Amino acid sequence: MGGPAYDCLTNPLGAVRFSFGNALSSGYDPASSHGKDWGVVDLFRHYFSDESAITQVPILDLSSIKWVQPNTLVRFRGMIQDMLGNEFYAGAYKDDSTWRTNKYSDVSQFPDGPSSETQVWERRLLYCVPVPGRNQWTECSSIELKNRFLDLTGQNREKRARVDEEMTDSIDSNTLEAGLNGSPFKKLKAGEGTSSASECQLPMTDGVPQSCVIPPATSTDSLPCLLKVYDSPESDLKLNDVVEFLGVLTFDPNTMMDMDSPGDNSDDFSEAESVQMPSGKVPRLHCLIHRKLETQHFLHSSSLLTELKSPQMFKEIRESLMKHLTGLLGNDHIAAELLLLHLLSKVHGRVDNVAVGKLSLNLTHLNKESMSIFGTQLRDALKSLLPFTQSIPLTIEYLNTASLGPKKDYGTNRLVPGVLQVADGTHLILDETELQPGTLNSVGVENANLLKNLLECQKVEYDFQYYKMEMATDAQMLIFSEGKSNIMPADMVLPFQPSQVNPLQVITPETAQAWRCYLATCKSLSHSIGQELQQVLENDLVAARQTDRSLGSQDLSRLLTMARMMSVSYGETSLSLEHWQMVLELERLRKERLK
Amino acid sequence: MASDSPPANTNDGPSSPGENASSPIGNTYSSPSSLRSRRRARSSTPSQFATPPPPSRLGVPSSTPPTSRPSAARSNRPATPSHTDEPPPSSDDGGEDGADDATPTFVWGTNISVQDVKSAIEMFVKHFREAKESSDDLFREGKYMASIRKVIEIEGEWIDVDAYDVFDYDPDLYNKMVRYPLEVLAIFDIVLMDIVSSIDRLFEKHVQVRIFNLRSSTSMRNLNPSDIEKMISLKGMIIRSSSIIPEIREAVFRCLVCGYFSDPIIVDRGKISEPPTCLKQECLAKNSMTLVHNRCRFADKQIVRLQETPDEIPEGGTPHTVSLLLHDKLVDNGKPGDRIEVTGIYRAMTVRVGPAHRTVKSVFKTYIDCLHIKKASKTRMAAEDPMDVDNSLRRVDEDVELDEEKLKKFEELSKQPDIYEKLARSLAPNIWELDDVKKGLLCQLFGGNALNLASGANFRGDINILLVGDPGTSKSQLLQYIHKLSPRGIYTSGRGSSAVGLTAYVAKDPETGETVLESGALVLSDRGICCIDEFDKMSDSARSMLHEVMEQQTVSIAKAGIIASLNARTSVLACANPSGSRYNPRLSVIENIHLPPTLLSRFDLIYLILDKPDEQTDRRLAKHIVALHFENAESAQEEALDITTLTSYVSYARKNIHPKLSDEAAEELTRGYVELRKAGKFAGSSKKVITATPRQIESLIRLSEALARMRFSEWVEKHDVEEAFRLLRVAMQQSATDHATGTIDMDLINTGVSASERMRRDILASSIRDITLEKMQIGGSAMRLSELLEELKKHGGNINTEIHLHDVRKAVGTLASEGFLVTEGDRIKRI
Repeated sequence: MGGPAYDCLTNPLGAVRFSFGNALSSGYDPASSHGKDWGVVDLFRHYFSDESAITQVPILDLSSIKWVQPNTLVRFRGMIQDMLGNEFYAGAYKDDSTWRTNKYSDVSQFPDGPSSETQVWERRLLYCVPVPGRNQWTECSSIELKNRFLDLTGQNREKRARVDEEMTDSIDSNTLEAGLNGSPFKKLKAGEGTSSASECQLPMTDGVPQSCVIPPATSTDSLPCLLKVYDSPESDLKLNDVVEFLGVLTFDPNTMMDMDSPGDNSDDFSEAESVQMPSGKVPRLHCLIHRKLETQHFLHSSSLLTELKSPQMFKEIRESLMKHLTGLLGNDHIAAELLLLHLLSKVHGRVDNVAVGKLSLNLTHLNKESMSIFGTQLRDALKSLLPFTQSIPLTIEYLNTASLGPKKDYGTNRLVPGVLQVADGTHLILDETELQPGTLNSVGVENANLLKNLLECQKVEYDFQYYKMEMATDAQMLIFSEGKSNIMPADMVLPFQPSQVNPLQVITPETAQAWRCYLATCKSLSHSIGQELQQVLENDLVAARQTDRSLGSQDLSRLLTMARMMSVSYGETSLSLEHWQMVLELERLRKERLK
Repeated sequence: MASDSPPANTNDGPSSPGENASSPIGNTYSSPSSLRSRRRARSSTPSQFATPPPPSRLGVPSSTPPTSRPSAARSNRPATPSHTDEPPPSSDDGGEDGADDATPTFVWGTNISVQDVKSAIEMFVKHFREAKESSDDLFREGKYMASIRKVIEIEGEWIDVDAYDVFDYDPDLYNKMVRYPLEVLAIFDIVLMDIVSSIDRLFEKHVQVRIFNLRSSTSMRNLNPSDIEKMISLKGMIIRSSSIIPEIREAVFRCLVCGYFSDPIIVDRGKISEPPTCLKQECLAKNSMTLVHNRCRFADKQIVRLQETPDEIPEGGTPHTVSLLLHDKLVDNGKPGDRIEVTGIYRAMTVRVGPAHRTVKSVFKTYIDCLHIKKASKTRMAAEDPMDVDNSLRRVDEDVELDEEKLKKFEELSKQPDIYEKLARSLAPNIWELDDVKKGLLCQLFGGNALNLASGANFRGDINILLVGDPGTSKSQLLQYIHKLSPRGIYTSGRGSSAVGLTAYVAKDPETGETVLESGALVLSDRGICCIDEFDKMSDSARSMLHEVMEQQTVSIAKAGIIASLNARTSVLACANPSGSRYNPRLSVIENIHLPPTLLSRFDLIYLILDKPDEQTDRRLAKHIVALHFENAESAQEEALDITTLTSYVSYARKNIHPKLSDEAAEELTRGYVELRKAGKFAGSSKKVITATPRQIESLIRLSEALARMRFSEWVEKHDVEEAFRLLRVAMQQSATDHATGTIDMDLINTGVSASERMRRDILASSIRDITLEKMQIGGSAMRLSELLEELKKHGGNINTEIHLHDVRKAVGTLASEGFLVTEGDRIKRI
């Protein structure tokens, strides 16, 4: 390191100022630019063009917030939970005939001399929270970085000692987490593990799903962040996107003062975000560059991605994963197959109200007892396989009290998050086995409707009080119920028939990693269909409908989705007859079971 | 000077021209400080910190004592974001004051001469005439001169100026006005004052200008720093409005010692300084002055938050909001939930770090200083118009602005021979088949003409439709689609609706305890479409509430001391499942629908949507789904209008086309109706078949009117009537109905009967043939069908399923058509 590169990392504002100076000398005119980028983005983008440079930047979370210095470069990974509109700021001002800039900083360097010329620029405010339901394996440990950082900033030794302790601690829990899935030891550990953000949302106490109530995303133990985004087209960042922001962390001491006298100053003009979000609790990040995160980004060893090339590889991993899933599901092979297809599903197209590619699964014939065995095992397994998972207990009490849909609070001008405000690709487990007869109140009915709508259209209604807005959501939904769930009409219904309870398998972190990688890769594969096979499909569908009039367009659509997932699970990008027939066979077996 | 006006008339707003000049937007900076100053005044402890001099939004030309002005203006600067092209007001003052001087003055930073602007405005106000006016009467007074006279007459305070007029008269002035609103509007006000005083020297009130109807309207999302200090107009929905804040304009102090009242002290730079000593020479007591509230003059101020309307929000975004500052008469012009179009000046305000700090943050607060508010639903302008005629149905977005180009396009569209088909195709394109249902729904969207006779009788123009059909035939989807399409549609589900929820209910206001009338779904969808899903699941009492709505189009309420009749001119689109969930072909249509005939007759069209097995349809469905999944969905799409075009086409037609029946069409109607009546006259069939009632002829008229509307035709032609008849017939599957039994002969509908079914029928027929051959002679005695059934059951080795009389009857029918036997009512005879 050293030189400008060094600057990028530890003195980003210096780098910004430096490049601003450069830009000025090469003819950049702040007065007419409206704050357009003068090359800072390129500078940083160039510096962080490869992954290894990015990993040098500490990730901002509850643990790192304690030692990260303001005005340094940090990363924040989170979901855009709310958009707070645009903010005008004095972007550039003239200080003795030279232009200075306030871009990427919070602190007012705005001199109050009336002679100064200022330029008003604009930036977007985004409110981000850690992705709801994020699983522990998605976190990168920034321990190493911390050490380096502390060395760098010359922090004292005592802290160092604590760091070491923490490091061993977290390594322990990491290996345990990946390895001993579902072992009681691990559960114990995970509960007290390095609590960051939301992964302790699901206290894994055996068979007590009531305790799995998910706290709202802005609970005290998660770290939200206020992002200030520059020069980014509006369509680039959308609500509920999972994004990694790289930017300058700032604390605004002024906001503290605001707190003292809220009455006088806030004559309703203020967005009041400073009042509601003291920078002590909500750090501000001035975003330099950002990128959308895919599951792949959470996998630490990206080397596997390259290995997963040959169909043979896919087949092998598929087999081992299938074996694992079958084991978890008490040797119910069909359930395991359908579960795999379900895990690979994602919405890849929307035509009006039809979300193409969703594939929700309803495992029936589960009661409280079997749930405590299979349900918990499965839940833990999914937690170790997928980046974001959430579990929603469908009890009358929960439905009547929980706020599932996000709601706009005009008093604070904020979008109050609901449980169903999730990032795309989140896996939801709905446990209906706990449902007892009872009365739903209006909240309950609304919640049930929200869930149903999510299941059917993959859309969640956001309540803006004067009107409702439907937001496209892509959530995989797995439902456990005793009989076929009528509240949650899933795409696939399968009576669950375990033949035995298998002991827990021990999984090495490498295998877990491989599976995660496999799922993520398969999900991202594109898919097509040959002309001839298209004809075959059409004929088969028509024939199926001729024999069974009850088949609706949804059923046909489901078959095609299954076919797509099936072929994708073998790492293939175009459907083959073989896979199509496998799907038909699977469907036949499923139908048989339903009888 | 106006400032001498009696302080008592507080409601009349500012009377000092100085204040007035800025009043539509003025005192923005003053808000915090003026409040503060009031507080301070009350507590009589003059605060020591120097409040940054706030107010006078423009530092504008005014006739306030010149001493205060320039300083106010200048010191104002640091607080404002200095925008390069924002003129420092000081020069303006000069401009204003020096209006009489010969030296040209300019708006600061530009080459706009104040003189020029002033004369341009004068010209505009004095000489602007609307195009049509000028042609017939050149010597008539200009539009705005007339309105000035009117204002003087009614002692009004403002004149609405249509920005379009300004543009038409002087585009240059318009541009200046939009770019430098603060300055130009101030000049405008002065010009107005001059004119007013030249007409009536004694007129004391200050008349302000309110600009509205800008040529271009921005969206909230696109507001950016370059819009600051510009005149903008945008649409939005009010989400929150503050209580009315009284803002002090003139203060009067009283000496506690001697009781001396000071002269009114005018707000200066957002604050009023309390006299440190009594002003009376004889008293001069220190710190004795106290504010006399009821002699002070206050102006109203309100802060309102405006939020984007849902249609402006891009996918994956949340709505933006912006603050509005309302003054005086604009206060309380809108309530939360109202959609308004606002014209105003976009402003940014610095935020001080703390009240006691001079330093400001680098972040600005932005807001819009309102000049004019127009409610989107019912414009203020329209409200002044004579009562709008009742039979012009304007339910579809009233403020759809149609430009020439679009109009032309519509005209062209309407001329296309296949426009009817095309419109039907564009309706819910992702729902397959159901073409005739879509056509019916199209008719509902276009609607017929409502008729109000002088005698008081009125005939509704709204078309009510009921969809009855098997589950899974995308009825609900159609409903959802129509609900989306019609701007004032309400979607309810019958299961969750109560009678009061649909009509109106009386509730106690939690705050005041008064009983208030809350509108239900039907009233809310006045001039819209009320979609009711799961109609069959609705309770009978709720359903009976619909009787009145569907024919009289009103909702009458008589409870809790409130007797009212609310308009509910709504079309009802309901959908229901047949009584046994699935359509039972063995029962008659009426039995299947299972709704009281009183209600049924109120539906203009009742569609039976049956799931008919048809390979052709299946293949199309399969193709569609495959295409859906493999991303060539677009290629499968037929040419259709997009939803926005469709909506504006519909709204345009509804607004402007009012077709009348041609003689030919009327004749056809009579003929067809008589025929329809006849169809219901089978003996004993009245209970089984939906017979034509006089209501039906009204329906037919409405339908044919709607059909004519689709073509933008002013005349209902014969073929419209024919199509209306066809729709009516098709809807009920009447072509397939056996009039004797009221059942639908599925054979007629089913082009492709499934093979097994056909086989079964063949077997049945052949066994009947066997039996009859065995037991009966040619021309011999007749046999009852029930006997035959018995025989069949005895015989029935090769028929493994249960046999019904119905099946037997059918099989006998087939045999009869073969000429093997004859049926005589319930008996059969071999021939």
